[in-house]
Amino acid sequence: MSTTLEAPPQTYALELRGIRKAFPGVQALDGVDLVMRPGEIHALVGENGAGKSTLLKIITGIYRPDEGTLEVDGQSRAFGSPRDSLHAGIGIVHQERNLIPKFSVAENITLEQPPVRNGQWIDRDRMRTESERWLDLLQIPIDPERSVEDLSVAQRQLVEIAKALSLESRILLLDEPTASLTPHETAVLFEILQRLRDDGVAILFVSHKLEEIFAICDRVTVLRDGKVAALDRDLRELDRDQLVTLMIGRSEHVAEFPQRDLSEAPVVLELRDVTSAAGPTDIDLALHKGEILGLYGLVGAGRTELARTIIGDVPMTSGEILVDGQSAIISDARAALERYRIGYVSENRQTEGLILSHSVLANVAMTVWSRLATWLGWIQPGAERSAVGPFIDRLQVKTPSLEQQVGNLSGGNQQKVSLSKWLAAQTAILIVDEPTVGIDVKTKHELHELIWELANQGLSILLISSDMPEMVQLADRIVVMVDRRVAGSLPNNRNYDDMSQQIMSLIHRRADPPDTPA
Amino acid sequence: MNLALRMLDRTGLLAVIVVFWAIFVVFADGFLNRVTIFGLSRTVAVTAVIGLSQMVVLGIGQMNLAVGAIGGMIGVFTGWLMQSVGLPVWAAVIVALLFAAFVGWVNGIIITKTGINSFIVTLGMASVITGLVFILTKAEAFRDLPDAYTSFGKVPWVELGWLELSPLIFIAVAIAIVMALVYKRTTFGRWMLATGANPRAAELSGVPVNFVVQATHALSGLLAGAAGIMIVSRLGSALPSIGENWLLPSFAAPIVGGTLLSGGAVAVFGTLLGALLIESVSVGLTLMNVPSFWIQLFIGLVLLLAVLIDRARTVAVARGQRGVRQTPAGATSG
Amino acid sequence: MSAVALHQASSSRLQSLANKEWAWLAGIILLMSAVLTILEPNFLTQFNFYVLLRGIAVTLIVAYAQLMVLVVGQLNLSVGATGGMVAICTGGMMEVWGLPTVIAVALGLLIGVGAGLANGLLTTRTGINGFIITLATASAFTGVTIGLNDAKPWYNLPKRFVEFGQGRIGPFPYIAIVTIIVGILLWVLFERTLLGRQILAVGGNQRAAELSGIPVDRILVIVFVLSAILSSIAGIILMARLGSAQPSIGSDWLLPSFAIPIVAGIALSGGSAPVINTALAALLIALIDNGLVLTKADPYWIQFLLGLIILVAVGLNRLRAVREAKRTTAS
Repeated sequence: MSTTLEAPPQTYALELRGIRKAFPGVQALDGVDLVMRPGEIHALVGENGAGKSTLLKIITGIYRPDEGTLEVDGQSRAFGSPRDSLHAGIGIVHQERNLIPKFSVAENITLEQPPVRNGQWIDRDRMRTESERWLDLLQIPIDPERSVEDLSVAQRQLVEIAKALSLESRILLLDEPTASLTPHETAVLFEILQRLRDDGVAILFVSHKLEEIFAICDRVTVLRDGKVAALDRDLRELDRDQLVTLMIGRSEHVAEFPQRDLSEAPVVLELRDVTSAAGPTDIDLALHKGEILGLYGLVGAGRTELARTIIGDVPMTSGEILVDGQSAIISDARAALERYRIGYVSENRQTEGLILSHSVLANVAMTVWSRLATWLGWIQPGAERSAVGPFIDRLQVKTPSLEQQVGNLSGGNQQKVSLSKWLAAQTAILIVDEPTVGIDVKTKHELHELIWELANQGLSILLISSDMPEMVQLADRIVVMVDRRVAGSLPNNRNYDDMSQQIMSLIHRRADPPDTPA
Repeated sequence: MNLALRMLDRTGLLAVIVVFWAIFVVFADGFLNRVTIFGLSRTVAVTAVIGLSQMVVLGIGQMNLAVGAIGGMIGVFTGWLMQSVGLPVWAAVIVALLFAAFVGWVNGIIITKTGINSFIVTLGMASVITGLVFILTKAEAFRDLPDAYTSFGKVPWVELGWLELSPLIFIAVAIAIVMALVYKRTTFGRWMLATGANPRAAELSGVPVNFVVQATHALSGLLAGAAGIMIVSRLGSALPSIGENWLLPSFAAPIVGGTLLSGGAVAVFGTLLGALLIESVSVGLTLMNVPSFWIQLFIGLVLLLAVLIDRARTVAVARGQRGVRQTPAGATSG
Repeated sequence: MSAVALHQASSSRLQSLANKEWAWLAGIILLMSAVLTILEPNFLTQFNFYVLLRGIAVTLIVAYAQLMVLVVGQLNLSVGATGGMVAICTGGMMEVWGLPTVIAVALGLLIGVGAGLANGLLTTRTGINGFIITLATASAFTGVTIGLNDAKPWYNLPKRFVEFGQGRIGPFPYIAIVTIIVGILLWVLFERTLLGRQILAVGGNQRAAELSGIPVDRILVIVFVLSAILSSIAGIILMARLGSAQPSIGSDWLLPSFAIPIVAGIALSGGSAPVINTALAALLIALIDNGLVLTKADPYWIQFLLGLIILVAVGLNRLRAVREAKRTTAS
């Protein structure tokens, strides 16, 4: 923290007041304020589902707020599209990847403002030199003529950052920019951000890596449950615990689950030297009956790919999977479900987990249709309802009726529906991928208790989560994946600080070598 | 709530049909006479089955541009089986239907094995099939068909005073009832709708998506073939040109009826009503001496209007946060 | 292969891939020409070349009309209907109103722009798939085409106009000038202009394009208008070549309009615009047609073969994509 910000400037670079935004079933933002000054790096923090991404989408014109005002340099603005926001001088690095795969690096970097002569003619030389400038600044050794299709995940993220920087906007938003970067790349980025700040750029930095927040940010705004928990506070006056307390609204975790040792329980799922076509390499794992086995790792560590390999969605290139001690050949998700009773709750709830346009009943019953069917695939009237109803009740899914379209439920209830589906299918092993992303805090706790209870009743659960508190709270053991390999397995003592320390040291022991794309 | 909306869908379409009928009864001479109604019952039957053949693939979020080509081929094939091979009618129909399902299944196989979109595959297949039909028949028709077969499409079944209906319309309705039951009451029906609405979610939930796609295309081929067989019995001869102009009605009937283009929701009886609307309009306008090309323009506009209304309704329903149309759980067939 | 060579191969992979496609098409064209030269003495005549080029002059523009919308991942079923409607309207203005050629053609193109606007605005405003919109508008346009003169052609077209349509210098038809200009303009559009980049960006990743401030809806409307203009040009030069405005113009364009860009290796998901390869593909398909005519084969073979070519071409593209993907994951 080099510069001081004693004298507040006349106007804010960006000022939002009383922003409200509702989606069917959920008030995503409820009267949120945000202010940013030129020449500061402002952190926006909050748990998943606190409303950070909705707020960013309002600033960048993707959503329109239901209520509230937005001012840029003291002038009131209403953005109807991302285009309007860009024209107002706001640049952003999105969390979702937003590059055109077939275009070259240079074409992508200059996508917003392609260098043109006489209005229409693309100036290829300038396109190259300009993008080279930004690539050099970020110390990215990539040929600007290369197609983005051929880049690694980390390289794409860097290109995306270069793309946002090239706009030279006065307001720069970065949404989890370091998710797939190495420590070295992150350090280079931070250096540039500090230089931009000194040049008077207002930077909004969204990250859930608190070390980064404290390392680079000047001030912070905390969101919790769609409301502002702390507005524009000086970070020097806060320590880590205080910030966490602001984020989660209490100082300790609510549900304390007891420590369990299930190493004596029978192994229901075992992976021996499994290598997958999707990346995971030489994976050894053993899941015991009734156990919650956590799978932790950074984005791109290969956890979801491993889950997909287990259910046969991605081919296994070598190794062996054993279910209940028997060698298993799992050709696809159907075989996983019907022969081995393994279910997978996808992290992409809306695109892979649910059929949003169909009813709650149809969604939950999807996994049991084969079982309910009699002669010629006939399903007796009412059979679905009686097969599905108890699980909906048990998970306390809040829905007016079973006929309700799933798309109209809140995120938490949608997640409950996608869990119910696998319970109705009577799976013995459940792989749950990021179960609480984008879900409000209250439902999140309900889901945690539910997962715990299911495990206590004998369901074996492989829990994939990037949410460290969730991991420490729920898992009996935590397996850490780094770079598509298992870096280590830790028994969980349910002490957050100790566990996060251990996990991080496992990750950084292996993550340090520079990223070299294949 | 859901039911009410669906009723509205269907009654809305019914109301439009009633309005058109009222107009034609007043302005088109001879609309309500027995010959017209009998003729209408025959054409509606064929169009409805063509529409159902397209509807099943729309339901899985794909399309079948080969509906007409398959229908034409199967019409000619049936004629050949009866005239040149000398099979009895029932045997010829069964063999022809099996072949139709097989050709549709080939479409499905190519789509699932290559991952190419259904539009291109069925466009290519349509061209291959039509080319073959014309090469093999040298553009000649089979005209010497058994009476038992041709009279089926020409002689009325029900005669209630002035009301005469073709047996073909009963076949179409029977097919629709079976289809409605498939969607409402069978695993395969659920699978088709789940695959159409979100193939990825369906696959991860244990739905055998590739099998469903192949079987649905086989079903589409089967229905297209049935339409071909029906139309040959109506025309009394198996012309290779059958199916040339099925593309528009095949989409218009299900879409006017309320089938979602994006997949995952179908309207079986809506497709029947869609066919009734389209055919009533063309017969009515013809009786009013409107030249046939204006009728084509008109049907294009009806399709456009239906799509626009559908869109507006979907948006309105989404705003009102209520269920749209029929989904697997909410009972079948709007 | 040495490590250096491997590295080079991977860095310019896309380029070399494109070259391969190009070389591939050219190879088949040469092979077919050689076979036809040996089997058919009539193949290597000036008049046959004229016939060949005359055909390509029209079908290539038809293919470009479809290519235009395929680039953004949409489909246009009204290419033929638009071409037919514009031809009939232009012919009618020449015969009935006696308008000079230039004015009639300009007004005809304007009608084409209107048709394209209708497609584009209906598609973007309603968010409905372009396929179904253009299926409906195609039916409407065809209604106009047939209805305008009771399905009869216009025969009295200006003499100069028809001379242009039917004249040639050696084997080279005048109308091919139009096609060459169109091809060059399209190449420049996609390679050198801002609009071209924006169209490709929308086709490559619509969401990313939108977030990068590209006016996606406006681009889509422009694309449909350009497609309609190209359809109109094809309709007008075909009318000039035939010497009369036939209402059947455009009725058989659907298949070649898709077959040619697909043979050229266009990505159906959008984002690529192989302008030059499309020209080669048009030549290839014209050669097949020409060969069938010269060998006096049943004319229905061309329909059969076009369908087969579509299936084989997409199949091969797909196979290559899969192999490509395997190679990248393996390395």
